[in-house]
Amino acid sequence: MNVKDLVEKLQLKALNAMADRPVTGVYISDMVSDVIANAKPGNVLVTVQVHNNVIAAANLVDVAAIILTRGRRPADDMVALAEKAGIPVLLTDLNSWQVASMLFEAGLR
Amino acid sequence: MEAERPAYRYGMVDVRPGYIVVEHEIHTQAMRAYFSPDPVAPIEEYREGKGIWKHSATAQSVRFSIRDIGTGEVTPFDELLGLAFYGSCPKESRVWEIGDLAQEHKVSIYVAVTTEGAAGNPSTLPAAKLRVLNRYFNERVADRAKKILILPDHFGLYREFSHGHLMVDLGLTAME
Repeated sequence: MNVKDLVEKLQLKALNAMADRPVTGVYISDMVSDVIANAKPGNVLVTVQVHNNVIAAANLVDVAAIILTRGRRPADDMVALAEKAGIPVLLTDLNSWQVASMLFEAGLR
Repeated sequence: MEAERPAYRYGMVDVRPGYIVVEHEIHTQAMRAYFSPDPVAPIEEYREGKGIWKHSATAQSVRFSIRDIGTGEVTPFDELLGLAFYGSCPKESRVWEIGDLAQEHKVSIYVAVTTEGAAGNPSTLPAAKLRVLNRYFNERVADRAKKILILPDHFGLYREFSHGHLMVDLGLTAME
């Protein structure tokens, strides 16, 4: 499954240009250092965090995309940083649990 | 289904949760930060010589080591306070200026910020440890054109740490 497939299945709103790459799994966390220690390359990161440090961590572990849940909207700075790092930022009004359930149903583990 | 992962030379081991504690001395206003592995972050005021140190801020974090899977050698990163991404630094800073130039060429600049040395100043991470850290993260990057470059703290970012610019979880604690 690729990032674009996820966008279609979950009806996510993309805030920047999307590098369509395979998604290898899912990691859900709102703690930056936890993402660095435990997220895997190619994971989609599900979070409510909209701080620039989320991009820093996501870029470091090479996540495939970030899904911001519960209608959280990032500042333009964060989107610009994600764009430069080549990380798609995707929005949804669903909460993290609902997104996790849909990702599970879509076959991601 | 999760895709099969490539074999890596390095693995992160001994990951311990804890806190980055920032404190200040009440007379001189000197500030310092350290990692606490305690289950609850220490906030008590205490004396050290003539100084009285008081809690300023706390951020959740982790401490880790990296193991060379081939040789079994474990490199601890106990002195590492955090990795500062150029994009999380102020736009007028040297780190941002250098990082922005590098990012155009898909090189992501981070600065390894360390704890205070014996003389009261932060010591930079030794070159051998920086190499291990750079290898660990770079061998996981799928895009071969992309690079992670973690630099020693020759920028004095340790001082900025007290003001929350670094890549720790201050954003989380600041949320509503």
